[in-house]
Amino acid sequence: MAGSALKRLMAEYKQLTLNPPEGIIAGPVDEENFFEWEALIMGPQDTCFEGGVFPARLTFPSDYPLSPPKMKFTCEIFHPNIYADGRVCISILHAPGDDPMGYETSAERWSPVQSVEKILLSVVSMLSEPNDESAANVDAAKTWRDDRKGFEEIARVTVRKSLGL
Amino acid sequence: MPAILLERLPLPSLHTYISFSVLFLALATFYAHQTVTAKLSFDPNTQLEEELGLPPELTNLTLPYGEDEHFYNMLYIMRIETWCIWTLVNSCYCVLILLGKLIQNIVFGELRVSEQQHLKDKFWNFVFYKFIFIFGVMNVQSMDEVVLWIAWFSGLGFLHLLTQLSKDRFEYLSFSPATPRSAHIKLLSLLVTILILCTVILSGCVWVGMNVSLTIFAFLAAESVLLLLRCLYVMVRYVIQLYDMSLEGVWEGRAIFVYYTELVFELIDLAVNFGHHLHMLLYGNIFLSMASLVICMQLRFLFYEFQRRLKRHKNYLRVVKDMESKFPMATQENLEQNADDCAICWERMESARKLPCGHLFHNSCLRSWLEQDTSCPTCRTTLSETNEREDPRPRQPGAPNGGEVIAPQPNQGTTNHFFHFDGSRYVSWLPSFSVEVTHTNLLPGQQAHATQTSQLDNMAREVQVVFPNIPQSVIMEDLRITRSIDLTIDNILEGRVTVPPVSLTSGGHQRNDSSGGTSNSSSSSEGATSQPLSLPPPTLPPAPSSAIPSSQLFSAAPLESQSQPQLPSSHQDLQFGELPSKSVTQQAAARSSEFSQSAGLPLTMTGGRFSKSATERMSMLDQRKKAMIEQARRNFELKQERQLSTESASAVVNPRISSEDNGASLGRLETQTEEIPSNIAQESSVRGRDAADSEDRVRRRALLLEATQRRLEGASGRNSSGLSS
Repeated sequence: MAGSALKRLMAEYKQLTLNPPEGIIAGPVDEENFFEWEALIMGPQDTCFEGGVFPARLTFPSDYPLSPPKMKFTCEIFHPNIYADGRVCISILHAPGDDPMGYETSAERWSPVQSVEKILLSVVSMLSEPNDESAANVDAAKTWRDDRKGFEEIARVTVRKSLGL
Repeated sequence: MPAILLERLPLPSLHTYISFSVLFLALATFYAHQTVTAKLSFDPNTQLEEELGLPPELTNLTLPYGEDEHFYNMLYIMRIETWCIWTLVNSCYCVLILLGKLIQNIVFGELRVSEQQHLKDKFWNFVFYKFIFIFGVMNVQSMDEVVLWIAWFSGLGFLHLLTQLSKDRFEYLSFSPATPRSAHIKLLSLLVTILILCTVILSGCVWVGMNVSLTIFAFLAAESVLLLLRCLYVMVRYVIQLYDMSLEGVWEGRAIFVYYTELVFELIDLAVNFGHHLHMLLYGNIFLSMASLVICMQLRFLFYEFQRRLKRHKNYLRVVKDMESKFPMATQENLEQNADDCAICWERMESARKLPCGHLFHNSCLRSWLEQDTSCPTCRTTLSETNEREDPRPRQPGAPNGGEVIAPQPNQGTTNHFFHFDGSRYVSWLPSFSVEVTHTNLLPGQQAHATQTSQLDNMAREVQVVFPNIPQSVIMEDLRITRSIDLTIDNILEGRVTVPPVSLTSGGHQRNDSSGGTSNSSSSSEGATSQPLSLPPPTLPPAPSSAIPSSQLFSAAPLESQSQPQLPSSHQDLQFGELPSKSVTQQAAARSSEFSQSAGLPLTMTGGRFSKSATERMSMLDQRKKAMIEQARRNFELKQERQLSTESASAVVNPRISSEDNGASLGRLETQTEEIPSNIAQESSVRGRDAADSEDRVRRRALLLEATQRRLEGASGRNSSGLSS
């Protein structure tokens, strides 16, 4: 129900505003619709995404803490666990029922105790440590595995682009 | 589909339509007026009638009213003449549309795209079915009857559309916390008006039923009851929502209330609809026509909907029963021990249910979660052993998606078998479910009393390596609940583990710890406002080193960032390391003060406050975003500068090779991505050449840099430690 979801989102928004984790900013795109958020994620340090600021959209279902939100990067980003259209593929964003890759335990999946903050932190750690075993972007996974230097160069370009430079 | 075809028709704009309607109406009126005057001024028995050019049927016409009632005569003429009737009908529509526009302007304002789409779909759907009803089921022949039915359905359709619009708008409004009161009042009063109109219509139906025929009554009544139900449903939901929003804290009964409202309304709606369609099918003697086919399809759909709803309700009841029998309500003592809020809704718990694993949740929150999954949300312990038995179908072992996954959890010493069966891939009505079987020696009920096994000891030791300042007993306590190192570490990181204050040395720490104690909003946030340097929740617990005065805090910072490598550490660190060009100490000092200002800005904004006004929140968020991008850009540029200078420095050591390297890698890059501007390549090679004679300068600069850095550390160590943690 939208009511409890709204309250919870409000609480999360408050927490993220007052106690923002390093390098993460998130909030509703427009207060008229609290179920559509934008997040800015800073590329983690000492990785090839260092220094970039990557915008992403989070779309919450109306039964929010029970079902996971969807997350999609709105910028170009070349990463094994991000689909070419920007959708993020990490296990905690998958509802316990569905298992697109076929080998996640339900312990890694979505549960209502997760939160936007945890999702974003997982995304940050995903950026620093791509998981090429469950690749969403096969090209990226291949490049990451076989041509690390090339991958890093591409990442550097996306960083530069994400900053609008 | 008719809808698609009709959508492509070039519909005239509202203005043209209205002006044409007015024109036709004027023409019709004029015609009627002329006819009436002509009729009255000439004696019907004279020979002049043909010369007047009156249509032949009018010649035999006698006006029912006298000379004084000119208007009624005109109406009478209009009713007789076919094209006049259609003109009148058209004008009625025109008025209806204008009325709709007016209501839209007053209540809804600009319609959103999805609302428009819904409206369109609903409209064409309605037109399609009612057309079938009038000409297929009722088999209306005479003009008068057609007009009457059209009038009825127009009015009804209009109200239906308004209800649909209200429903959409209500759902949309419920997505936002900051809706002005006036919007709610407008919408609610519209709904009340519709409701009143519905009752008026319904009483009209009763009148028809008593005077005309019962069948017609049944048709009309069913339609209006459906409308009434939908309207009432939106209203009830609305009121519940408003009440809930105005309420502080949780309304425990809310979910049940909403659920049963939904259930009752949906079931009645479906039942009435079903009866209505069945009546249509039987009434019309139309078994072998297109209309019957459409109605049968509709009947089938309604039947399945009904079934599905009942099935869901059964599941719901089962969950509730299961929950009530298996998980007792938490005692007051439990509640006191657990200082945390409900992890599902993040609200305080006045009453809660306790799972076998020891986690507490609100009754309603837990139920809605159990409806879709059967594990503890926090620790993922499987809660329902009956799940497997309840599946009537044997699992398909060879099925590609019914596979078994063994996920060993290295730290836990237990294996989880994970089964997933997606029935909907085979047949749409098959259920999908997943079952996780955890093999442990301990029964769920005994977990709390688990003896100190050596395994637990080992785990505790491992955790203590990470958190040396947390007493082992506390770790053990938590491990007994979580049975996983990762989860315990998580708990400690998020402050869910309460550390006895003995281990804390300084007052600053207790404060931090208390602010981290509840990982949730309010209390921690207050800590943050008064203390701009407070650590964000996922930081490490107070390490002994960070209790030492500020100058040494900075040295502790890298340690912390090491243990959490995925988090970018302070920007300030970066900036201090990146003052390559402005190597003069004074400049750097000036810059440091400037920087601490600029760093202070995002700090106050980030750790600042959470405004009550929506617009202020929005603008603050925007500012923060801009500041972040701005800072990232600055850092990036600085870094690039530094990189170029270090590249040039390395070029000094072996200028030829490095420049070749540069060229090669950049060349490859260009072919691969075609993104890197070529001027960088040029620049770096130029620099490489220049660097040979500026070797000394670079070294000196580096030394100077280090020195300034050290000084700056002393000056603003406090600040940076706050940032870097």
